[in-house]
Amino acid sequence: MLILRTLRQGPLHGYAIARRIKDSSAKGLEIEDGSLYPALNRMLVKGWLTAEWGISENNRKARFYRLTSDGRKQLEREAKEFDKLVRAIDLVMRTA
Amino acid sequence: MKEFLRRLLYLRRGSRFHEELDQEIEFHIETRTDELEQSGVPRLEAIARARREFGHTPFVRESARAAWQIRWMEDLFADVQYAARALRRSPGFALTAIVSLALGIGVNTTIFSLTNEFLLNSPSCRNPETLAVVRLGGNSHLPMAEFRFVRNAGLFEGLAGLREPDEANWRSGEETHRLWASRVTTNFFEVTGVPVALGRPMQDSDQSATVISDHFWRNRLGADPNVLGRSLVLDGRPHTVIGVLPRTHRTFTGFGLAPDLYLPVEPDQTAVAVHLRLPQGMTRQEILDRLTSVGKELDRVFPQPDSSWTKDIRITPIEGFERLRSSSPAAIAAFFGLLMAVVALVLLIACANVASLLLARSSSRRQELALRLAIGASRSRIIRQLLTESLLLAMLGAIAGFVLNLGLTSLFNSVQLPLPLPVRLMIQPDTRLLLYSSILALLSALFAGLGPALKATRVELNSALKQSEHQVGQRRWNLRSTLVVGQLAVSILLLGVGFLFARNLLKSTTMGPGFDVDRTLWAYVRLVPAKYSTPKQIRAFIDREIEILRATPGVESAAINRIVPLNNSSATFEPFQIDNEPAKYRMRLQVNNVGPDYFRTMGIPILAGDEFKASDPDQVIIINESLARRAFGSRNPVGRTIRFGKRAPVVIGLAKNSKYFTLGEENAPAIYEPYAAQSLSEVNLNFMVRASRLSPADLVKPLTKALGALDPSAAIEVKPMRHAMGMALLPSQVGAALLGSIGLLALTLASIGLYGVLFYTVSRRIREIGLRVALGARPASILRMVFGESFLLVSLGFGIGLGIALLITRPLAMFLVPGLSPADPLSYLAVTAVLTIVAITATTAPALHALRVDPLTALRYE
Repeated sequence: MLILRTLRQGPLHGYAIARRIKDSSAKGLEIEDGSLYPALNRMLVKGWLTAEWGISENNRKARFYRLTSDGRKQLEREAKEFDKLVRAIDLVMRTA
Repeated sequence: MKEFLRRLLYLRRGSRFHEELDQEIEFHIETRTDELEQSGVPRLEAIARARREFGHTPFVRESARAAWQIRWMEDLFADVQYAARALRRSPGFALTAIVSLALGIGVNTTIFSLTNEFLLNSPSCRNPETLAVVRLGGNSHLPMAEFRFVRNAGLFEGLAGLREPDEANWRSGEETHRLWASRVTTNFFEVTGVPVALGRPMQDSDQSATVISDHFWRNRLGADPNVLGRSLVLDGRPHTVIGVLPRTHRTFTGFGLAPDLYLPVEPDQTAVAVHLRLPQGMTRQEILDRLTSVGKELDRVFPQPDSSWTKDIRITPIEGFERLRSSSPAAIAAFFGLLMAVVALVLLIACANVASLLLARSSSRRQELALRLAIGASRSRIIRQLLTESLLLAMLGAIAGFVLNLGLTSLFNSVQLPLPLPVRLMIQPDTRLLLYSSILALLSALFAGLGPALKATRVELNSALKQSEHQVGQRRWNLRSTLVVGQLAVSILLLGVGFLFARNLLKSTTMGPGFDVDRTLWAYVRLVPAKYSTPKQIRAFIDREIEILRATPGVESAAINRIVPLNNSSATFEPFQIDNEPAKYRMRLQVNNVGPDYFRTMGIPILAGDEFKASDPDQVIIINESLARRAFGSRNPVGRTIRFGKRAPVVIGLAKNSKYFTLGEENAPAIYEPYAAQSLSEVNLNFMVRASRLSPADLVKPLTKALGALDPSAAIEVKPMRHAMGMALLPSQVGAALLGSIGLLALTLASIGLYGVLFYTVSRRIREIGLRVALGARPASILRMVFGESFLLVSLGFGIGLGIALLITRPLAMFLVPGLSPADPLSYLAVTAVLTIVAITATTAPALHALRVDPLTALRYE
């Protein structure tokens, strides 16, 4: 979900996605950068993302990932699920 | 689905994907390094940190790849390649296995094709699923007047009538031939949508038009390119050919029936089967309700004395199993069932062959398999690979079997069966056949491959790796022995059945039918119905023809009769009483109506009383011995009356038993009544002629000419009775041909299997035998041991096979001539002899070889 969210604003390459995730979670999530790539490939298989080669800001060849409409739908679905979960936890915490 | 396509695309990209992934990972690490460097970290440390943060690169690469893979498919691909390589390495094994399977699958699919064509094919028409046959009042056919009434009632739009098969007389040159015709109402083609290849279908305005079959066009009209518009004199009237049917035309009657042409119904003489195009959106019940109301109207306008048109109203589909259930006799279904079972057994033998070959192979591949297991291949993975190998064999076998099927079916298509009706098969491969072959291939792969694969992978690594083969101390009774025994049992069964039918054929050709077939001829005359509308005309015609026949030189006597024995039959279940005795008898009685001189002509002795004379009153009857024995016991039946309801004819004669419908029947009770006692409206006349010399074939031409002189529009067919026995011999001929050849095939397969297995078992023991010889065993005792073992297997197989054969061949009695029991000892003795010879040959060669082995050589291996 994090990856899909990151890509909502526009296409990014793998390194940028990793940076964004790290930054936005304020270093709260310590994941190895490498594990991003299997995840990206799984999403390519599912058809949530498309990938194409382009030139990065430091003038290197890089692969840019773009959200497809299927991916957008998936993001909405996951966001809804997540909200539900949060609300449920919230409710439990308050009544407890 | 889309996901699967994307994965497939990945398979094609293969190596490019890996490059791209590597580039991407490199880019990631370099960018991170640059970033760290900019923030002041030294170059080398930056690289190291970037790598550390990224994680284990090969692992990332593998997991990214795994996201795309269809694992099983890549494995399968590799397995198939591996299997193909393995098979190429041992071509002898592969060829034997493939040929075995090809024969097994080939005969199975052929019988399937035959059954499919014969029983399950749909007639050629538009949307056969919405066409049905309607019966009213339990009648399969409706007279034309009633049919027109139903059609004019206007409750259904698509109602057409068909009478099939019917006959027509074709005047061609100086001769008139009898043709087989389907009579149809002129709207038949429109309602059913039967396609034509040339010209156009029949329309309402066509009262003297005909649509001819492709076969008739090619064989009787010389494929005349200007056939459309040509005039044929049919039943004494010219008819215009307006269309030619496609070569693949299939009739509504099915069973391969192939009439020569379609003709419009005779308005007053024909009764037709009612075909209905089911109205859309109407339930079955609604249709039945409408038919019932039509039946009520019919009862009002065409009342029947003892029955109602509303009784037993039925709608039967014209295709599929439901049609079959309502129309085909049990014997046909039983015959095809038997064939299917027999060929399934053949396939079983073929699979057993392949299984024992695979077993033999896998034990010589033990080391290879053990090695693979030892370096970490899972057992299921190896089983999968071995199964792929047998699947590949089965596929190749199925393909070869398919070719065999094409050859055999085209043979069947060209065979003309000696039936009284024209039957032509048009077997063509279809999707059903393809599906069936694939299923068979899959099943045989599983059946042949699973056992050996399981066994091959159940190895003890240590011993397998150390030594190639260990035989001494191996279990004697193993899967292979079981296979041999099973194979023998099944082939004994099949061969027994095959021999049985061969003997049956031999016996039935030499068996007398109870009447003279060597000096009699059958002259068939069909009159044009429109010309003979009263019984008086027909009777006059018959009398004149009998006179003409008697006057022909070389003719001793001639008689008219309704039923030609062994070609036709007519039976009644009507209960009867004797004189005024209270006892009621009810049995199946064969009935024939015969004219004066019939018994003399046929050479059937009259044991008591007399045969019919022209001067007899109508109420007389002649019975046969069987009926006399069952109804009168030892009393003399002559002079007594047999009371059928209101009718009470006097018995004037007692005839010797003869065969009526099949050669296989035994002592069927029968009655004969005068020809004149029936309603004389039949236009199909059968004359029996007795020749004064033994070569009746010479009489065919003069008789045809003499009979035809009276009325040129009458169709004449004369043949010696000996040639008209085809129908009676057909079951045993077909049975002997099919089952005999299948049995022979089974024998071949089983012999190959038996030989292979015995040979292999003995040759694996060569070293053991050498050891025994070295330790002082004498050749005689070694031979005794080897043969003893072979014979244990063989006799066990025989025992089981014979037991099963005796049990399950009992229902076959219905196909066999009397005097031949399904447990015919001679058949089984012959089979036993053949297989024993194979077993001895298969054991002797390797046993002798084993004896010649130098003990030292054998010992060196141990």
